[in-house]
Amino acid sequence: MEYRHYQVWGVLMRLYHWAFVLSMGTLAVTGLYIHSPWSLTFLEDVRRFPVAEMRMLHFEAAYVFIAATLLRVYLCFFGSKYERIWDFAPVTPRNVKGFFMALGRYLYLVDTPSRRLGHNPLAGLAYILTMAVALFQVLTGLMLLYPESGLWQGMGAWLSITQQQARFYHHLAMWYFFLFGMLHLYILIWNENYHPEGLISSMFSGKKFHGPQEG
Amino acid sequence: MVSPYSQFRPSFRCSRRSFLKGCGMVAAALGLSSEMVPSLVEAAASNTRPSVIWLHFQECTGCSEGLLRASHPDLASLILDIISLDYHETVMAAAGRQAEEALKSALEKGRGRYICVVEGGIPTKDGGIYCKIAGKTALELLHEVAGPAAAVIAIGTCASYGGIQAAHPNPTGAKGVGDILEGVPVVNVPGCPPNPISFLGTVLHYLTFKRLPECDALGRPLFAYGRKIHDHCERRPHFDEGRFAERFGDEGHKSGFCLYKVGCKGPSTYSNCPAVRFNDAGVWPVYTGHGCVGCTEPGFWDTMTPFYERLPDVPIPGDRGIVSSAEGAGKTVLGVTAAAMAVHAAVGIGKRLVKGSSKEKKGE
Repeated sequence: MEYRHYQVWGVLMRLYHWAFVLSMGTLAVTGLYIHSPWSLTFLEDVRRFPVAEMRMLHFEAAYVFIAATLLRVYLCFFGSKYERIWDFAPVTPRNVKGFFMALGRYLYLVDTPSRRLGHNPLAGLAYILTMAVALFQVLTGLMLLYPESGLWQGMGAWLSITQQQARFYHHLAMWYFFLFGMLHLYILIWNENYHPEGLISSMFSGKKFHGPQEG
Repeated sequence: MVSPYSQFRPSFRCSRRSFLKGCGMVAAALGLSSEMVPSLVEAAASNTRPSVIWLHFQECTGCSEGLLRASHPDLASLILDIISLDYHETVMAAAGRQAEEALKSALEKGRGRYICVVEGGIPTKDGGIYCKIAGKTALELLHEVAGPAAAVIAIGTCASYGGIQAAHPNPTGAKGVGDILEGVPVVNVPGCPPNPISFLGTVLHYLTFKRLPECDALGRPLFAYGRKIHDHCERRPHFDEGRFAERFGDEGHKSGFCLYKVGCKGPSTYSNCPAVRFNDAGVWPVYTGHGCVGCTEPGFWDTMTPFYERLPDVPIPGDRGIVSSAEGAGKTVLGVTAAAMAVHAAVGIGKRLVKGSSKEKKGE
């Protein structure tokens, strides 16, 4: 079999990935603090605002998160061949087949590795779900950030979500990202172990090391 | 069963209900559990009302007014019910020789047991000649009356720290009681005027526990002056978010935003104003749209002026408030992202154009 380097991920995709990771981590940590703030009284005086500062960090990270999410949505339609949604959404016959192949491989039912350069459709489904949760976090987050804005309040009314419900769901959805992060890391390392194709380094270099691909 | 409340003297000016209500308010201000209310009631209703001698020096009587003309009439009568006000120049009916007799007899009868309340600053320059009552200087009167007292309560900022008379250049050498008296416990209840609840709380604490309340380094009871106004202010969230009234009457002011930029001194003033409030109507300066002037702090005429300019060295979170700062950063991030997408799209279109034209060439 002939192995060689293939260019898979563009610069924007890689930038998106790391902006998303870093902002999500910041959002989770600051969000947990905002949810249940603690303080050391000797740190507090006129010059210290621990809660306000944590909230500001949260809002700044939120804007990075919004930008990253929008960028990924753009790449779903205008990115490279592998970045486009039709390459990994399990809706076409080829992708449905790939979905069950990947599922079978992860369950040790099939021995043949995926012969795709881009996401396998199982991962693709997880990423689509993550994007959906990210958009939900963006919308509920903006609703919480601008409680007096007609636009975001109107959206809340349209979805019949109160501020309190938005806050609750926003907090609940954070746990999805912890879950996703753990699975993502585990599957990555698993893949690197069984099918060393440079999955991790591809998010830095954009290149994968791969044998002959299907179609 | 005999209720502890049944021992009320029939001569009480206020009803049982308002008496208990007043005691409950004071217990809340003191931070006492509701279980302590009966003890307060018992102390307040006891037949041995402490004798109080009230001295007026360099003052405007605003503290007495604030206390006795409180919109909550029960509070005023409660004060007059629990203490025996034996000498108070503006309230007493007696005048001239009769008044002096009253003072003399109160001094003799209650020696070592009465409470001396001082209202107003005490001039010390030139032998104290700038304030004289019945031929005696304020200094002489203070030593004569407050010296043998069981405890001294300085009511208002003037009696506590000198007040407006002591403002630069302090022509009369005005001082607060605590700076002059030695060997007598002095509690300061500053404010211009102080909240009647803070004064009543101090008196009832003394009657209930037989000792004066715990005080801070400036002699102020911690139950009333233990926390910063800024930290309990109802406008505090606006400060954190960066929403300010920039001028009186502007949109921010009308929307009830933070008054820090129009001179509020809440960030460096200790008092219970935002929690206890005034006049039974739930109001206090910041509530009505005027910044705090810091009237419970020593020398506030010198240190808190100009009243309508912001305090120096009070940073606003995120420099201009957390939301507007985050928005500024957010606009940059979103702008850069949009630019990156535009470049990406332009390169894509450019590539396709180049490819298309090369295909055309091949086709030829």
